[in-house]
Amino acid sequence: MSWRNIRAVIRKEIQHILRDRGTLIMVLITPTMILLIMAYSLTVDLEHIPIAALDQNRTSVSRAFIQQITAGEDLDLYAQVGSIDEIESMLVKGEIKAAVVIAPDFSETVLSLRGLPMQVIIDGTEPESGYFAVDHIGQRVERFIRDVMADQMQAIGVPEEALLPIDIRIRAWYNPGLKPRVDMIPGLISMVLGFPALSVALTLAHEREHGTLEQLMVSPIGRADLLIGKMIPYIIVGMANVIIIPMLAMLWFDIPFNGSFPLFMLLSAFFLFGILSMGIIIGVFMHTQAAAMAVSFLLIFFPGFFLTGIFFPIASMPEVMRMEALFLPGTHYAVISRGLFLTGAGMDILWPYAVMLVGLGFVFTGVASLFFRKRLG
Amino acid sequence: MAEASIETRGLTRLFKDNRAVDGLDLTIAEGELFGLIGPDGAGKTTTLRLLAGLLAISAGEARVAGHDLRKEAEAIKPHIGYMAQEFSLYAELTVAENLQFFSEIYAVDPTQILEKSERLLAFAGLNEFKQRRAEHLSGGMKKKLALACTLIHDPQILLLDEPTTGVDPVSRREFWEILTELNLGGTTIVVSTPYMDEADRCARVGLMYQGRMVFCDTPMAIREQLPGDVVELHTQDWRAARGVVASLPGVLQVQTYGESLHLIVDSAEQRLPQLVCALEDHNIPYRSLRAAPPRMEEAFISLIHQLQAHGES
Repeated sequence: MSWRNIRAVIRKEIQHILRDRGTLIMVLITPTMILLIMAYSLTVDLEHIPIAALDQNRTSVSRAFIQQITAGEDLDLYAQVGSIDEIESMLVKGEIKAAVVIAPDFSETVLSLRGLPMQVIIDGTEPESGYFAVDHIGQRVERFIRDVMADQMQAIGVPEEALLPIDIRIRAWYNPGLKPRVDMIPGLISMVLGFPALSVALTLAHEREHGTLEQLMVSPIGRADLLIGKMIPYIIVGMANVIIIPMLAMLWFDIPFNGSFPLFMLLSAFFLFGILSMGIIIGVFMHTQAAAMAVSFLLIFFPGFFLTGIFFPIASMPEVMRMEALFLPGTHYAVISRGLFLTGAGMDILWPYAVMLVGLGFVFTGVASLFFRKRLG
Repeated sequence: MAEASIETRGLTRLFKDNRAVDGLDLTIAEGELFGLIGPDGAGKTTTLRLLAGLLAISAGEARVAGHDLRKEAEAIKPHIGYMAQEFSLYAELTVAENLQFFSEIYAVDPTQILEKSERLLAFAGLNEFKQRRAEHLSGGMKKKLALACTLIHDPQILLLDEPTTGVDPVSRREFWEILTELNLGGTTIVVSTPYMDEADRCARVGLMYQGRMVFCDTPMAIREQLPGDVVELHTQDWRAARGVVASLPGVLQVQTYGESLHLIVDSAEQRLPQLVCALEDHNIPYRSLRAAPPRMEEAFISLIHQLQAHGES
């Protein structure tokens, strides 16, 4: 290993990045673009879900109930209908996502505190909005019952508290509003920050295609020197994203950042080392830019999407997948990113993940230099 | 003769079933200027890549600059300069930056880099283009820059793969003046070329055909390989003339060069009068008909024709 060689490669590579507009856009603009697109398309906070109501009771109580349900921003009353058939047709056409059916004996049963004869129908083809509707109707129903009961209790002179011996209050920590974005964006950040790995995979293939690698192969430069020298500039450029992207999350998406930012930068550098080493491996084995691109998506980005626990909890994956997830730097970094953004975790909690990132980086770089031959063909 | 710079015994390289280089025995002395010629696909590039340690050897042995190529491929690298056929420098880097980069990875003494760069740039006539990006250089200048980068570490051995292909004649001449000067300074040079006038400037020439070295000698000896004498015939109507002379007794080969025909005959003295008669009989006007000294090109084509005929039979 020669620092002089590494430095020569670093300088040359930075000159290349700065002068080649395609590479510059790829490493600096793409992560921001992808974060914006994914944040908007994947983490829609649901609002104004259209529902229909079939009121077979038609009393002031049932009307008050319907009004209570649709009072907020979350559910909109799309139509009052007269039959189940109408509900079906609206569901099929996608005009509504859910419907509330109120039984003919609704007011009587409610007022005598015997039950709540109603039914909620949801569109099973779109369970997201359906469950959302059920959830929110449930919350409203609770409040409605409490109001009704309060009136009735007062009428017979019993204090309200006597009826509610159990008081369950659910509080979601770290994300009190249970907003999907707050949880999702730190996860997405862990994905988009890995984007320079693609550029690293491409840069070796680019040198191969342009014959410059041949010129390097006949030189005495060490294999590890070349690979490390190629990786460091992308870590440096990647660090620019480590500043830009969290700023975007905090200022644009109002995501709180509760941890230490210097720690975030340090651990992000570890992550870049880990994931760029994966890029280097791909560059070593793939001899054209097209192949390097395809394999990067296959090995870095798709697994980064599905296996790193950003969308699906790792605990619920089959064993094989869990093992594979362990080898992805993104898995460990997703924990770090969420930890620093949401729970404000420190090194006392995050150190195993940091160790994994650095370890994977060394393993991957080692494998890459081992298999990189200064030979053509 | 000086100590051998390059020595191969049965050097062979297979690509699948194709023997790209087939049992090459070659000894190149220190300070020699050696030319590699042969038709496309003869194995010139593969040979140079093998000698540069860029390809694994399938069979045989090779020593370059005193090191066994099979065991110590890395050890030869500080001693050789290799220039690929295609442009292989960093297009986005300037002339000076390319030189700087290669001097660093070849571990040139930092205190000497500037002086060496200046000397090489002057040598290559690139001084005024120092700040120009390599991608904006002309074809000839690119080749000279590539050579300058190849020379930055003062290699003992230069391996050049068709360094002047696609370069204008003036640049070609300049390039060869540089090579000659280097060679006079003691550098061993192995250069492949499609141009026979360039082969003529080498001390020795190896002719490759289908992976084998079929002939290896001085340009003079190669010219003497011609089975007879050369007769040059200048005529407007060379198609008709070729039909007439090709079938004459004693005419071994007819090669076409623009408007002139070069005939290889067993004896110019004996056949010239017969040629004159034949052309007049067929009413073919000609500007000149005379015996000429044999050139590399004729010898080369003649040898290739013989090899092809031999291969077919």
